[in-house]
Amino acid sequence: MIGLCHIIHFKNAMDSVISADRLTKKYGELTAVDAISFSINEGECFGFLGPNGAGKTTTVRMIHCVSPISEGSVSVFGQAAGINNRAIKKITGVIPQEITLDNDLTVYENLMVFARFFDIPRSEAKERVAGLLAFVELEHKRNSRIGQLSTGMKRRILIARALLNNPRLIIADEPTTGLDPQARHLIWQRLRSLKKQGVTLILTTQYMEEAEQLCDRIVVMYQGRILKEGVPQRLVQDEIGREVVEIRASEEGDAGLLATLSPLYTGHERAGDTLYLYCTDSHALMERMLSLNLPNVLHRPATLEDVFLKLTGRSLIE
Amino acid sequence: MNLSYRIYYVFLRNLISYKRFIIPTFVVSLGQPLFYLVTFGLGMGAYMGHFGGKPYLHFLVPGVLISSVMMAATFECLYGTFVKIVHEHLYDSLVATPVSAEDAVAGDIAWASFRGLISGTLMLIIAMALGVLPASWTALPALVLLMIFTGLLFASLAMIVTSVAPNFDFFSYYTELIITPMFFFSGVFFPLDRFPAWMQTFAQFLPLTHAVALSRALFAGEISSALLIHIAALCALGTVAFVVGIKRMKKRLIT
Repeated sequence: MIGLCHIIHFKNAMDSVISADRLTKKYGELTAVDAISFSINEGECFGFLGPNGAGKTTTVRMIHCVSPISEGSVSVFGQAAGINNRAIKKITGVIPQEITLDNDLTVYENLMVFARFFDIPRSEAKERVAGLLAFVELEHKRNSRIGQLSTGMKRRILIARALLNNPRLIIADEPTTGLDPQARHLIWQRLRSLKKQGVTLILTTQYMEEAEQLCDRIVVMYQGRILKEGVPQRLVQDEIGREVVEIRASEEGDAGLLATLSPLYTGHERAGDTLYLYCTDSHALMERMLSLNLPNVLHRPATLEDVFLKLTGRSLIE
Repeated sequence: MNLSYRIYYVFLRNLISYKRFIIPTFVVSLGQPLFYLVTFGLGMGAYMGHFGGKPYLHFLVPGVLISSVMMAATFECLYGTFVKIVHEHLYDSLVATPVSAEDAVAGDIAWASFRGLISGTLMLIIAMALGVLPASWTALPALVLLMIFTGLLFASLAMIVTSVAPNFDFFSYYTELIITPMFFFSGVFFPLDRFPAWMQTFAQFLPLTHAVALSRALFAGEISSALLIHIAALCALGTVAFVVGIKRMKKRLIT
């Protein structure tokens, strides 16, 4: 029986609820999203990682039907996404990148008015608003105007607002940009607890830590394309290894140094004043380096950030 | 056109936010028309003798009243809507709900028309206090309808302007070069038949001319089939402006 339950559970978990087929967005000459394909399973948290302008936000905007699709398609819960699809919007909650709260209204009015947009009856809306204000720990700000709230509070209200319609899909577009660590962790906790309730979550972020904290699977986007897809930990393993050694030294010595240390590292990269060495077990490497008596060496675990920088280049993107 | 009953929800949102601005907007929407009534109607009117057997004020009120509807609706869809799009990103969150861009824009047009109706009604109350009344009680609902429709028309026209406006300064072109001249060429202050012929022809192309003519007929009680041309002109202009305004605005909102 246990085995069977597992199989059923496994099957459900693998049901794809969103799938994109050569999804493309063009603004005149500019191709913002370039024929990308991906699929997202029910109940998972799927992350779009990429630098500014990679096409993350444009992609999610096409998923939740506020940006017209130029070519290709994306289906959401069995329906083709498109600008006039109210049914998809009805079951989607959006936490936008910009704070789009209604400054003319109080916190409570903001949520009540928004509930109306989803045809939620007044009495039910009242209940949900009360519950959601508790969920984001802002009951005491119920009658405040938006201008009186901190950025972290505004972001929490955006989360509450995104949940009014009991969405099956939540899209969080860089939900913690510009927040202090406390506020950021509170938002992560809330997003994780939503995931536990079985909601499918799409996250865009440029913070690697955020993706590692929240995402089951990620894609790395760059210039409108998907460079890599996978489970965060596995991606780090496959692309970088387990550990990274950073050596701050001028570039001239690289060839000699790399020859001396070979084959103790699995990969290397030079960016500015730093030489990065990737390895799975740094023990032997560090021993050899100690004997070389190099100044300015940093040894640390590999992170998603290394994958990201390796894939998109360590130099500044403009 | 993806329109639905959700227009009402957008209207409601505006109504809820309005309660905080109600007093300042009363002052603003009354200030200018009152100024015209006092200076032209009472001041200049004293020197002008009678217009068609009645004091000048009786000539002036129907035009100023409908102009105040025009002004209120216009400003709401210029500045009000622009702030909502550019500064508050309100439309961005609206279109992510089952409310479509068309619903949102139509909701704002309906709201602007309502603002026009409020301005016009306040003017009507003042006019009645000054002894200028609509021809009969049955003319009153017709006047309300006219105000609503005039509001819709000018709100839609303003929406077209807002759809292409890069910033606030842009609105001055529209208000100073189109709205204000229209005010003087539409028969608000003096009868059109005193203009040269070419100017009379020109005036026929101004939407306000037709609204003023209808308003004046309702005050004077001179209802005739000659008014049908004005009704037709308003309906045609209103429909075109409404459709174009929503389409242009959608283009700006949905990218």
